[in-house]
Amino acid sequence: MTTAQNLNMNPTISTPLFQMPSVAYTSQTGLSPQQMASAVGTLPTPGGGFFNTVGGIVNDIGNFMGSTGGQQALGAGAGALAAQQAYQRLGNVGERARREASNVAQTGLAQSEFRPFTVTTSTGGMMDVGPEGGTTMTLSPQEQALQNQLLGGAGQFYGQAQQPLDAREQAVFERMRAAQRPEEQRQRLALEERLAAQGRLGTSSAAYGGATPELMAQEAALQESRDRAMLAAMQQAQAEQMQQAQLGGQFLSGGYVPQAQLIAAAEPALTTSQLAQRGQLTGAGLFGEAEMSGIEALLSSGIGQANLMGQIGTGLLQQAAQPTFVGGTSGGGGGGAGGGGGLFGSITDAIGITDSNNDGTWWSRLFGG
Amino acid sequence: MAQELRSINLVAPAFKGINTEDSPIAQDPSFAEVADNAVIDKRGRIAARKGYDVTTTNKTVLGTGTLRAIREFRDNAGNSKIFSVGNNKIISGTTTLVDETPGSYTITSDNWKMVDFNDNIYFFQRGYEPLVYSNASGAVEKMSTLTGASAVSDIPKANEVLAAYGRLWCADVTNNKSVVYWSDLLIGHNWTGGTSGSINLSKVWPDGYDEIVSLAAHNGLLIIFGQHSIVVYQGAEAPATMSLSDTVAGVGCVDRDTVQQTGTDVIFLSHTGLRSFGRTIQEKSMPISTLSRTITKDIISLIQGETEFFRSIYSPEENFYLLTFVGQNTTFCFDVRGTLEDGSFRVTRWPGSVFTAYERLTDGTLYVGTTDGISEYKGYSDNGTRYRFKYFSPSLTFGDTSRLKILKKIKPTLVGANSATVFMKFAYDFGTSYRTTEFTVGNQNPAFYAVNEFGENSNPLSEFTGGELTNQRSLNAVGSGTTVVVGLESDINGFALSLQEINLLALIGKTL
Repeated sequence: MTTAQNLNMNPTISTPLFQMPSVAYTSQTGLSPQQMASAVGTLPTPGGGFFNTVGGIVNDIGNFMGSTGGQQALGAGAGALAAQQAYQRLGNVGERARREASNVAQTGLAQSEFRPFTVTTSTGGMMDVGPEGGTTMTLSPQEQALQNQLLGGAGQFYGQAQQPLDAREQAVFERMRAAQRPEEQRQRLALEERLAAQGRLGTSSAAYGGATPELMAQEAALQESRDRAMLAAMQQAQAEQMQQAQLGGQFLSGGYVPQAQLIAAAEPALTTSQLAQRGQLTGAGLFGEAEMSGIEALLSSGIGQANLMGQIGTGLLQQAAQPTFVGGTSGGGGGGAGGGGGLFGSITDAIGITDSNNDGTWWSRLFGG
Repeated sequence: MAQELRSINLVAPAFKGINTEDSPIAQDPSFAEVADNAVIDKRGRIAARKGYDVTTTNKTVLGTGTLRAIREFRDNAGNSKIFSVGNNKIISGTTTLVDETPGSYTITSDNWKMVDFNDNIYFFQRGYEPLVYSNASGAVEKMSTLTGASAVSDIPKANEVLAAYGRLWCADVTNNKSVVYWSDLLIGHNWTGGTSGSINLSKVWPDGYDEIVSLAAHNGLLIIFGQHSIVVYQGAEAPATMSLSDTVAGVGCVDRDTVQQTGTDVIFLSHTGLRSFGRTIQEKSMPISTLSRTITKDIISLIQGETEFFRSIYSPEENFYLLTFVGQNTTFCFDVRGTLEDGSFRVTRWPGSVFTAYERLTDGTLYVGTTDGISEYKGYSDNGTRYRFKYFSPSLTFGDTSRLKILKKIKPTLVGANSATVFMKFAYDFGTSYRTTEFTVGNQNPAFYAVNEFGENSNPLSEFTGGELTNQRSLNAVGSGTTVVVGLESDINGFALSLQEINLLALIGKTL
């Protein structure tokens, strides 16, 4: 389980603000807390708590404060300690801010992730949009059969269009000639009869290609007819090729109509999805902003606490540096403690935490100890 | 009681020529049973034919051979040159015969046919590459050597050739006797280009099969003679489009050299005699008339017996068509001035004919070819040799075949026959043993104006004759019979002889 996963984004914080999580974590820097502590200073013992340690220190300070010199030394030491603690706390606050921001980013990343959806048309086609954005379109069986038929037909027509024209030209030519031959044969026979009746069947003239003018004219006409048939066959074959190509294109276009219609049908869903995505992104943004605001507030409070502690330390150090006055109180420890209570009552008063009863419980009230 | 002599006057005897077809008894006395070496003269009388006068003085080239064909070549400038063939040579000239045979050209037969066409003369014979002569070249050449000529293999080696309608036509090629070829227009040596062509008659013959013998052109028609049929094409001026005009089945032509054009007709020898196309302008059909009906059997016999070749000539000057059976030394002379009632020509016979070639020159001179070379048909001796004129009448019955005739007098009237001895013959009852009586015609040398009768310096300088010598004789006859045949014979040796009439006086006796 990652840190981001473990992060509770619930705004209700049930645990103390500065209670350290009891689980180990690995920051994004890759350093353990101990390593981080050694880098910034001595860290409290894990499990003891930072503020327990501070309490101990305060107790020690109280005890030490029972004596005059000790009280001065204690005051100086407590001041230094508080300053050192304030310094360390500032570092911890920064680290935590980075960590919390990272958590917020992770959360935002999760919240802004694309959400798969599926579009189903009225004809049974389906388009599945996967988490990675991949799209899978599935046609209905009828549409799939139609597409297969059309694409198959397109392939067939394209195949025919790619065939050499020679054979088709010859085939068309032969069919045209087959239609022409009977009439040509009749014309030939009629001419033959005419020539025979005129006694010219065996006439051969060099000027007419070894035949009679009529025969040459007829043969020229037949040749012209054959030529026309040949050209017509070529044109017909080319037209058929064009037609097959066009049919192939039409079939090919038709073959993609179910898919296009499926895509067209998915257009509203895509719009809707975009709207949802937009809301999702907006929510994630708002969430991030809110979280960051909380973190910033936490940082501010942490910084304030650290500043406070630094001011306390500073005050203690200043008192320790001033001339000592002796009070009428007896008892060492108790006095110290009492003295301590008086000192800390002053401190708590100074920082705004009431310690009017001077029982020294402000600590617990403040930190929950 | 003495009986009256009955006179039978044979006026212009035999002016209808020979008739050997009808019964002698029933014949018209105007026919003749025999008319040898005779013609029908300008007055319609039977007369002796002319002889021939040899022109050739040097016939070394001809050797012992005889001329087989003569042709006058006239070029476009009007120059004339006589060509002839014989002794397996192409010969030119008339007095001195010159060998014109091309070098490296071997001839083994003289059955050439020559035609004059477009400033050239062409020689055709079956199986031989045609030869050509023109004044430009000055020599006889093989056709294939001419500029623009077809290849040898494409030139028809034809036996028949005709120059007509601006081109040469030929036919009768070895192994191909059904195709008529025509040359390019005006180019007789181009047989493959231009407007040359051919027509195969194997599908046209009216009898299914025939062989081309001869070609003729007449009145815009191309007449193709087969052996047993005739095909006529019209529009031969454009041979590619010429069409069949008429066909005649059962009548053909015997030989290409028997076809002659008379200007108004085409005469040819069929297997049954001499025939002609009578032209009818209004009718498209082509009626055929028989021209030798009076000698049909004779001529058929000669046709069947001919082993060499035929020669013929038409002479408008002499008014005859001569048909010679060279192998049988017989010539029939058909008078073309008119026809008899049955449409036949008057015909006489020239037996012992030595004529082997004929050519009528542009000026009307008739050349004949003999072993002596080129001769001219003129005079009344065969190159100085006499020939016998014969006339025999048909059997005369004097109108009654059953009664006896006792011939008393024969009175012939002759014209000409200067100094000739005339033999009058008669026989009775179809007998062949003739009784003969002879007489000599008087001498009458012709005298002409300004020509001295007795020599250049004679006196008187000139003497005028009285025109033609006419001789009438009265000869006694003996014997009797129911029919009488009268004949007359005389050797012709320098003078013409015409038989004007024969008057017979006879007693009509008892009925037998």
